[in-house]
Amino acid sequence: MYRKTIFIKDTDSQGLDRTKEFYNKFLENLRSRNLQNDIQVARAADIGIYNQGIVLRVYGEDTIYVQLKETDIDNIISLTIEKNEIISSLQYKKKDKQLRRVLRNCGVINPDCIEDYLANGGYQGLYKVLTSLKPEEVIKELKISGLRGRGGGGFPTWMKWDFALKTESDQKYIICNGDEGDPGAYMDRSVLEGDPHSVIEGMIIAGYTIGASKGYFYIRAEYPLAIERIQNAIDQAYSKGLIGEKILNSGFNFDLSIRLGAGAFVCGEETALIASIEGKRGTPLPRPPYPSVKGLWSKPTVINNVETLANVAYIFIRGAKEFAKLGTETSKGTKVFALTGKVKNSGLIEVPMGTTLREIVFDVGGGVLDNKNIKAVQTGGPSGGVIPAQYLDTPVDYENLSKLGSIMGSGGMIVMDETDCMVDIAKFYLGFCVEESCGKCAPCRIGGSQMLDILTRISKGQAQNHDLETLSRISFAMQKASLCGLGQTAPNPVVSTLKHFLPEYKEHTENKRCPAGKCLDLLSYKIIDEKCKRCGACVRICPVSAISGNREHGYSIDTQKCTKCGQCISVCKFKAISKE
Amino acid sequence: MDKLTKDNFQKAKNDSVQKKTNWIKVGMSTCGIAAGAREVYDTLTEEVKRRNLNIDILKTGCLGMCYIEPLVEVCIEGVPHVVYGNVDTKAALGIVDKHICGKRVMNDHLVIK
Amino acid sequence: MEASNNIRSDKEIKDLVEKWKGVEGNLIMILHTIQDEYGYIPRHVSFELQKLLDIPLARIYEVITFYNYFKLEPPGKHKISLCMGTACYLKGGVDILGELKSILHIEPGQTTKDGLFTIELVRCLGCCGLSPVMMIDGKIYGKLSQEKIPEILTHYIEAES
Repeated sequence: MYRKTIFIKDTDSQGLDRTKEFYNKFLENLRSRNLQNDIQVARAADIGIYNQGIVLRVYGEDTIYVQLKETDIDNIISLTIEKNEIISSLQYKKKDKQLRRVLRNCGVINPDCIEDYLANGGYQGLYKVLTSLKPEEVIKELKISGLRGRGGGGFPTWMKWDFALKTESDQKYIICNGDEGDPGAYMDRSVLEGDPHSVIEGMIIAGYTIGASKGYFYIRAEYPLAIERIQNAIDQAYSKGLIGEKILNSGFNFDLSIRLGAGAFVCGEETALIASIEGKRGTPLPRPPYPSVKGLWSKPTVINNVETLANVAYIFIRGAKEFAKLGTETSKGTKVFALTGKVKNSGLIEVPMGTTLREIVFDVGGGVLDNKNIKAVQTGGPSGGVIPAQYLDTPVDYENLSKLGSIMGSGGMIVMDETDCMVDIAKFYLGFCVEESCGKCAPCRIGGSQMLDILTRISKGQAQNHDLETLSRISFAMQKASLCGLGQTAPNPVVSTLKHFLPEYKEHTENKRCPAGKCLDLLSYKIIDEKCKRCGACVRICPVSAISGNREHGYSIDTQKCTKCGQCISVCKFKAISKE
Repeated sequence: MDKLTKDNFQKAKNDSVQKKTNWIKVGMSTCGIAAGAREVYDTLTEEVKRRNLNIDILKTGCLGMCYIEPLVEVCIEGVPHVVYGNVDTKAALGIVDKHICGKRVMNDHLVIK
Repeated sequence: MEASNNIRSDKEIKDLVEKWKGVEGNLIMILHTIQDEYGYIPRHVSFELQKLLDIPLARIYEVITFYNYFKLEPPGKHKISLCMGTACYLKGGVDILGELKSILHIEPGQTTKDGLFTIELVRCLGCCGLSPVMMIDGKIYGKLSQEKIPEILTHYIEAES
């Protein structure tokens, strides 16, 4: 058995990976001291710290050294390893602020095994609620916690529950919204797959509190594994008596079943989701009345998102005060994000509210892919907006994001670099909403497609500056006049890109140029004669024979024929083809 | 399964305490499976059985680090408790050979948070 | 093209519906059951449902056509679901689509003449860490590039001969 284990990794992604050389030198030094059977050293694939040169960590200790050179090895071994002395000049304080609360059991327990969940403190919240709290007291606790809906809007959860509790009815319902529609977000899927019982626990607590004896999971049909695991978890909870009649000897009965979504983004909207569970087209209804008063089959219904319910379980297991310790003044607790796009460490992260975007992208995410410059971060999916790089130091909470013209949303966070065109991004999201619009109300149905038409013209260089004003006007109309959240928020990506990236739009309209090099119609491919070695590789690969010429006189591209497929660029070894 | 009641609930919790060491967990959510976690799980199970080792191979949910899936967490007595990423069948065999049998941390797949 | 094993007797349709009979708001769940079985919602089944559930055919079609997930045409033998979520879009999903189209000569939503492949665009497969991503018959292929596509497709084509 080794006395100590040392991990090393070169975290400087520019240039060559020096991990192996450093490792060999380290090993050599250990051997020279005859320590190789005492101390083990291992090369890491990811050492949790990024862009800090060669990094060394000691297993089981807080010691982290960065920016190491081979000349440091001798000192490290003599002092830190042999004498347990810290070399402060090399020391590094880890800034990664990840904290797993909602994801506390994901990757820890076996999701198909209720005993695992119980052993990790699961259903303790339910036990506490059923054995010692009245519904009003549950709501009071929830109010202390400050929990707000994690599905997008950020409505205080206790208020929703309170409305439903105070509405008299013979039957009430609780629905878990697992219709994660934001393309580029999968937090809910991971929680449903990794820790199904925590969501179920949250639902039973909600049911008890508002007086609902029936609950529904509404899950996307595109998530077969999540559906399978939730069904299995429901079956186990039934056989343990945690769902069913007289749960834990209380007078409370609760039934739970799954309903499947069928690929309609609008069904993330509460009233549309209700229509879908009722077996109808998912068209939204005007609110009020709110579902808390008149929801599923016209009965009071609380709809909470997956992450919200997982938080409820945490609050009653660990206490509302403990929950509220983290976060900002108005936004308590943590938030799970699906960090994707042009970021090195794509994945699911959970950080306290108030963490800055810079910390998220660089300390947790490891920085931008290929070391390009970050241009913006998109949050909130098709209902959200883009946040330009100059606001990266903004602490993330509901209010700050909406001040910047975006929303917290369900947790999609997409990093964009300098090669991403903002007109193209706005077009992508708007195209999504136009396709998903249910068509019931005119502002969303007509406004959306008109805007998409204008954006398409902008990206083709066929628009003028006055079209940008029209975009703003339609956006305003849609935000004010649409029936439901989909239409009201659909213009957000356009509004926020117009606000933060107006010069880029104007390059498209005035100079017919796409600075990011994305809008195909505004690009033309050209062979740079000085760089061309006349190998002819591009001629052979071009699928439409748009490249002509010969070895003697060089080659040129017929822009009329060129389809801008980019194959010539990828085949050219001399970077002799430009697109702009 | 016996139903839980107000009285036997806490006992049930204590009864279901997990094994402290000598287990391997494989992250088996959609993303992990897409990256090849099922093959890794099968390889580990077979290899552990073939060598007659007393190690539990467990399934679990998503650890969150999608960029380096499949992820395998290894907790063996006397060896540092670590997570390995980008694990393919070859690395899975390496885990059994080097980490479990050789009692040494394996190179180039370690993920440290 | 309707393969022979897709023709079911009325009795079997009745069995599929049985589990959900009498459950409130059951139509969407029944349609899911039907599509799991047939790969799409065949016309004759909808007619049968109308009788079994005692609801107008218009109600059934109104729901089928509203939701993207339900299909009215039989899919090809292998269903290629190409992810067009934001992460996949940013990382070159469009190029992958171009490659698929140029090899298979079909547009999204269409099936190849030999009935082997259907291309379908999906919103998010939830594997953004592996983007760009596509799924063929439930198996996910991640970190795609244009060059990888011919090899992947060849695998399915060769299995036929």
